[in-house]
Amino acid sequence: MGADVFEITVNFVKMVAIFLLMVQIVPLLVWVERRGSAYIQNRFGPNRVGPLGLTQLLADAVKFLTKEDFVPGRGYPFIYYAAPIVAMIPAALALNAIPLSSPVHVEAFEMLGQTWGPYVFLAQGYEFGIGVVFVLGVSSLAAYALLLAGYGSNNKYSMYGALRASAQTISYELAMGLSIVGVILLFNTFNFTEMIAQQAGPLVFSLFGHKVEALSFLPNWGIFYQPLGAIILFAAMFAEANRLPFDLPEAEGELVAGYHTEYSGFKFNMFFIGEYGHMFVASLLMVIFYFGGYTLPGVNPETVGKWFADFSPTKASLLTALVLHGVLMAKVVFFLWIFIWVRWTLPRFRYDQLMDLGWRTMLPWALANTILTAIFILIARHPWGS
Amino acid sequence: MLWEAIGFYSLAFFLIFFAYKTITAINPIHSALYLVLTMIGLAAVFYDLGAHFIAGVQLIVYAGAVMVLFVMVLMLFDLRAELRAFSRGLFSGMLKIISAGLLAGIFFAGSDSSIAILDTPAAAPSADVSRQLGILLYTKYLYAFEALGVLLLVVAVGVVAVSRIKGGTHARH
Amino acid sequence: MSQLLPVFALTVFVIIFGCALLGFAHLIGARAKPNKVKDETYECGQPPDPTRPPQSPPKYYQTAILFILFDIEIIFMYPWALTYGDFIAQGYGLYIFLAMAFFLAVFIFGLFWEVKSKALEWE
Repeated sequence: MGADVFEITVNFVKMVAIFLLMVQIVPLLVWVERRGSAYIQNRFGPNRVGPLGLTQLLADAVKFLTKEDFVPGRGYPFIYYAAPIVAMIPAALALNAIPLSSPVHVEAFEMLGQTWGPYVFLAQGYEFGIGVVFVLGVSSLAAYALLLAGYGSNNKYSMYGALRASAQTISYELAMGLSIVGVILLFNTFNFTEMIAQQAGPLVFSLFGHKVEALSFLPNWGIFYQPLGAIILFAAMFAEANRLPFDLPEAEGELVAGYHTEYSGFKFNMFFIGEYGHMFVASLLMVIFYFGGYTLPGVNPETVGKWFADFSPTKASLLTALVLHGVLMAKVVFFLWIFIWVRWTLPRFRYDQLMDLGWRTMLPWALANTILTAIFILIARHPWGS
Repeated sequence: MLWEAIGFYSLAFFLIFFAYKTITAINPIHSALYLVLTMIGLAAVFYDLGAHFIAGVQLIVYAGAVMVLFVMVLMLFDLRAELRAFSRGLFSGMLKIISAGLLAGIFFAGSDSSIAILDTPAAAPSADVSRQLGILLYTKYLYAFEALGVLLLVVAVGVVAVSRIKGGTHARH
Repeated sequence: MSQLLPVFALTVFVIIFGCALLGFAHLIGARAKPNKVKDETYECGQPPDPTRPPQSPPKYYQTAILFILFDIEIIFMYPWALTYGDFIAQGYGLYIFLAMAFFLAVFIFGLFWEVKSKALEWE
């Protein structure tokens, strides 16, 4: 975690800040979702409370807090209360393993009569050597929150919702895991920072030992190597986050509200935090795998550092990190908007169609993507000359 | 160093506690949930030992897939008849005796070789242990790897064949 | 261990945060007397029947087992994808490709058989 008190404190504050970022994005996204759906459906949406209806969120929070704390009489109280808390953990852990910007280098400085530093602070809670595998493993634990909610409420609809939800998430996890194999083939690493570093600069690749520079006006993003994988991964992410058109677990026409039928107030809100956290992680993964992470198209990461050459090294590094974080968030916000856009555009699948799509369409296509990627990489990277 | 020791021993304590509760919990669902926690703890132990990729696999396969199946089956299928059949009678009595014997065997065999465990382990593996694992798996252990693919196919066929059998406890469907 | 401590710390923090929020909502939330009808399981107007727990088709069970099998096969492709570039750089590209091609052939045969046997079909 760190060598001295200052480093440990900063790292802990950083983790908490990333977690609170995830919690805070929920009301904002709910607002965007309401206004966006109103825009799509040619309505007004919430516009009475505050400018553009923004303070509606505060009113919602107060409403959530002052609702009665209800426990179903036949439920299992401990599991019933544990489920919403468990729902937040996987998304929080996954989000903290993803780099949100470039590392910040802090020069040695004096404080409280002692010399501290120099430090390097990563823009993520912790770095694992197995970045992608850790995120996948932690996300696969998300099914427990649904199962606990279904079981803890002891309600027929909740149980069926939990059953459908877990069957659906595990079915789409296959397509998701397979499309990530293509990404790992491309970058030859599990580490997110290395993936982003490989996507900096213009689109130049080697073919039969020759360098192809004809497309160098494009950035070197993964989407140009993995278009099919990107589509499959993004579609599977919708199912993983239980969003429309894959929100069968909460199909209100059939199951009332699915696994959170018996939940209200802040407990219900915590499931929302988990769901939007998954959306956030999904958008981040899309950006890092296929859209260059925090790199700016046409600009080298070193160039960004030179913009702030007039400042002291610590400040320059901090400003660079902030700019790159802004770039990353702009890309992420675009994908979050696609999540919302799709939700208000497409109708819901039927359950058999959903399982069919996952097992008999997306899994074979993801397999084809893996094999094609392997063949192309074999041809392109084989040392032909030597 | 002190923090690492505290972290390791608290992890070990919780791991053993969860494993103990897995066996002693009366409600099968609580038992399965404790087993999930044990699996997650095991992943942490693997990571601590330097087997980073195995830790990830432990999370994805055991905690994320196998235990989801267990918990799903226990929570959502009416297994009262099966529970009764496996908690009383001659069959389960035999099972208890056999598992007690196995535990005793492991205990004695383990206590015999436990002195070797106390030796200082070899130097910590280098950072890129996942890559070394991959290279070993597809060169030295290639045949085992291909045989595993065939074995998984056999299991997949078996699952479908078994689930087609009408009768037994699922006859009412 | 030093790499795992932040994960534990964050998990504990999220649990404390969640418990604090639930406790706060419990404290300032509206109070109502427990009511027999209200505490009953939500059932859309029908009186709930607790004697019969919901029954689910064994199809879900079969799907979950097939998922585990395919998940293990996919997990084995991760170290392959990681080392693929190293093998190619050393000139063993075709070897590593064929090693996985056989594994994938078995995988695809399995998937093809599952589709053919209608095990993946839901009605």
